[in-house]
Amino acid sequence: MTSMIERPAEVAAPAPARSRARRLPASAGQALVWFAVVALVVGPFFPLVYSSLRSKPIYLPGGTFTLAAYRTLFADPLFWTAVRNTVSFALGTTALAVIGGTALAIVCARTNLPGRKAYRLLLIAPIVIPPLGLIVGWLSIYGQGGYLTQVVSKNVHLPVWNLSSIPGMSLLGAVITIPVVYLTVQAALAGTDSWMEDAARSAGAGPWRVITRVTLPMLRQAIVNCTLLIFALCLEILGIPLFLGAPSNIDFYASYLYRSWSSGANPDPAFVSAGAVLLLVVVSGLLLLRARLSGSEQRFIAAGARGGGTYRPLDLGRWRWPASIGLGAYIGITCVIPLLGLVLMSGVKALTTLEAPWHLFTAENWRLVATDPTLRRSITNSLLIAGGGGAATVLLVAAATLIAHRSGFGLRRILAPALIYPRAVPGVILGIGFFWTYLMFTPGALVRNNLWGELIALCVRNLTLAYVVIYPSLARINAEFDRAARSSGAGWWTIARRILLPILRPALLAAFVLMFITLLGDYDPVVFLQKPGTEVLGVTMLQTWQRGVVGPVAALAVVQVGIVAIVLLLGTRILGRLRRA
Amino acid sequence: MPDIRIENLSMSFSDTRVLDDISFTVKDKEFVTLLGPSGCGKTTTLMCIAGFQTPDQGRIACGDDTFVDRDARVDLPAERRNLGIVFQSYAIWPHMTVAQNVAFPLRVRRMSKPAIRARVTEVLALVELSALADRYPHQLSGGQQQRVALARAIASSPAVLLLDEPFSNLDAKLRERARDWLKALQHTLGLTTIFVTHDQDEALSMSDRILVMNGGRILREGTPEEVYRQPRVRFVAEFLGHCNFLTGAIGTGPDGGEVLRTAEFSDGIKVQGRHDGPTGTIAVRPEDIEISSGIRPGAPGMGTEASVLHASYLGDHYHYQVAVGALQLSVHSQRPLAPGPVWLRIPPGVATFVE
Repeated sequence: MTSMIERPAEVAAPAPARSRARRLPASAGQALVWFAVVALVVGPFFPLVYSSLRSKPIYLPGGTFTLAAYRTLFADPLFWTAVRNTVSFALGTTALAVIGGTALAIVCARTNLPGRKAYRLLLIAPIVIPPLGLIVGWLSIYGQGGYLTQVVSKNVHLPVWNLSSIPGMSLLGAVITIPVVYLTVQAALAGTDSWMEDAARSAGAGPWRVITRVTLPMLRQAIVNCTLLIFALCLEILGIPLFLGAPSNIDFYASYLYRSWSSGANPDPAFVSAGAVLLLVVVSGLLLLRARLSGSEQRFIAAGARGGGTYRPLDLGRWRWPASIGLGAYIGITCVIPLLGLVLMSGVKALTTLEAPWHLFTAENWRLVATDPTLRRSITNSLLIAGGGGAATVLLVAAATLIAHRSGFGLRRILAPALIYPRAVPGVILGIGFFWTYLMFTPGALVRNNLWGELIALCVRNLTLAYVVIYPSLARINAEFDRAARSSGAGWWTIARRILLPILRPALLAAFVLMFITLLGDYDPVVFLQKPGTEVLGVTMLQTWQRGVVGPVAALAVVQVGIVAIVLLLGTRILGRLRRA
Repeated sequence: MPDIRIENLSMSFSDTRVLDDISFTVKDKEFVTLLGPSGCGKTTTLMCIAGFQTPDQGRIACGDDTFVDRDARVDLPAERRNLGIVFQSYAIWPHMTVAQNVAFPLRVRRMSKPAIRARVTEVLALVELSALADRYPHQLSGGQQQRVALARAIASSPAVLLLDEPFSNLDAKLRERARDWLKALQHTLGLTTIFVTHDQDEALSMSDRILVMNGGRILREGTPEEVYRQPRVRFVAEFLGHCNFLTGAIGTGPDGGEVLRTAEFSDGIKVQGRHDGPTGTIAVRPEDIEISSGIRPGAPGMGTEASVLHASYLGDHYHYQVAVGALQLSVHSQRPLAPGPVWLRIPPGVATFVE
């Protein structure tokens, strides 16, 4: 049919090649952001692997390549004990968390449980409570010298539980990880209409049969997904063995590495790096398996964004109120009472049932927090890192997310996995990696002995959180917005600054609040980096606790929880106003 | 405004060829429509012109500016092509007011503040939105949003206006009004316009010229009348309105012109144009067939007997399904007819050959 088409009478002379062949010029700024993210995320692993293969620490002259560090590690009986402990803890925690979290999600999302709306919020509270605060709170109430433990053993003379055993620690581990299961399963439930359950009910099945024969099988993928995730998280847990395991001399993998590092005969032992490399391989393998089984990470994130369909709740019948009261008791026992215990512990000389607490009241712990330079510094340092580091991370991650998903930059596809990976790496491993990085490279010396080094390690470890908040919001912004701006004559940075970032404002604020809370509570990546003068809250609490001083630790934990509560309150209010506008 | 020339555009996504050697020219102040079903390549063509997609082969030039030339390795970024685009979703930025949306292309071009204000006022008056300058997009109706998108597209006096199905989000009544209004504005301002749609009514009522596309190729090009009356290709005839197709032997009529003979129309149907070969297919529009009740003894060429199988009333006309021997035809008529025998005639000049 080409004969019908009108041909241009004259063919214009080729215009001067005033543009590059690329659709979008790969500007220097995009390259810079790309390089910064990839270098920060991938960088620390090379020195880590390298140092595990050297016969001497890299700052000493000489040294050869050797597998000696791995041989030392495998020859250490304590290492194998730690591995055994970790695996039994991980198995116990995973089983409890997956069963508990799934049950809670189904009950709250699909039944007529009284108060289910409030419970949906309360159940995810442990995510925002600083982990050390919860651990110290648990110890103050349920630990061997804990208040309730004493009441039961000394006053009522009943056989008592032991929180410092592997089952005890698994219980606390499950309480901390249940929100992850709960959120995953709930997202899966929200993504499916309840018409399949309705069909089963109209076929004559009762609520129990509907849940076991229809709902649970539908959730299989989500359950497999979070089982692997929780198991991987358990392998790296540091706070629980350090605080709870110490009285019974129970070490886990991460605490074994930490203790060998801080109390070894020779400094900076290579076998710790070797242990870190091994853990890295195992955890990465588990998460790769998870990605293979459950599809892409993006799909998991996007699942929460879809609105749920309408549903007619399953009737719990006469179990309605008992179930609701049981759930309330669960939240009370696992969160509310420990937090109250924390407050109590921060205000008394010693926590004992022998004398009424008001006779033991003291302001000494709080006075110490206000005057002791180390304790004070750790608060200000943590606030600096949480505020400054949080803001900087959100900006960097926002730019990287835009480059990854809304640009023509050649290597953009590497960015999304690079933004996901740091949170998958155990914090202690990243910490050891940064330790060697700062030693090995000259620019590292600039941040080695000041707060910057810790800020970078903490921010890199947690930047994934900013990404998982920002990306789903970006994905919902119509790509025609960008195109309309480009056809208006705007370049990539102008579009980012004037169109996309302003529209993303609520997501950026939410990402900042989440970063702030997490940075304030996180400590694993910096236990190897802290120096006098660069204390942060978590590590100071850890070290003070290990010296047997518990009152000020409780006070610090109360400060931490208080700051988180204020930031959450402010954040949600501003967010509400932004969304209304 | 300069001409825009598209030459030998080809493009494939993996194994599918979405553009197959597309060439056309849009002259100054002309309104050209790319019409076709979804997936025919019309939007891809538009996006190649806009710079959001790069063709595998071919050349696009606007006046002296080469937008794309794969052989010369030229691909001007979208932001430097100086085009105005109205997107299907309008893509009005939700965080900016109407005035800020319209001012954006001017601010990007670093115009002075007073000049921007003057131009925004002028353009908003043009699209009759002066009163809504400080509103945010979510406070506007669909039709108003569409006019904001248009105002933004023409604010910087672009060389060419590109419209990507701009009416598809409006309801039927509003769509007709918006159509007339946009055509009038385009005519007044003398905007060179490329319009993409799958709606034949929009294409016929607005265009100076229509390009009917399917399978990544241009099947027919011409004025709305030409394309409708002489579709030349079976697909074009079917896509633009309804059509009956009859296949038969080609012979010569009493006056020397070509006629098509079938078992049902043994006298032959007089056909416009020429066709090579012993057999051929013709297209006849349902509204061009004459239908009347009762049997009239006919002279040769005066029609044939038929019977109404099914009738439906469509407000401004009746649609009849009519049987002529083994053949079924669609016929539109203003006249109500009872089911049963009728008289059918295809007047000379209404049938055209199609491939």
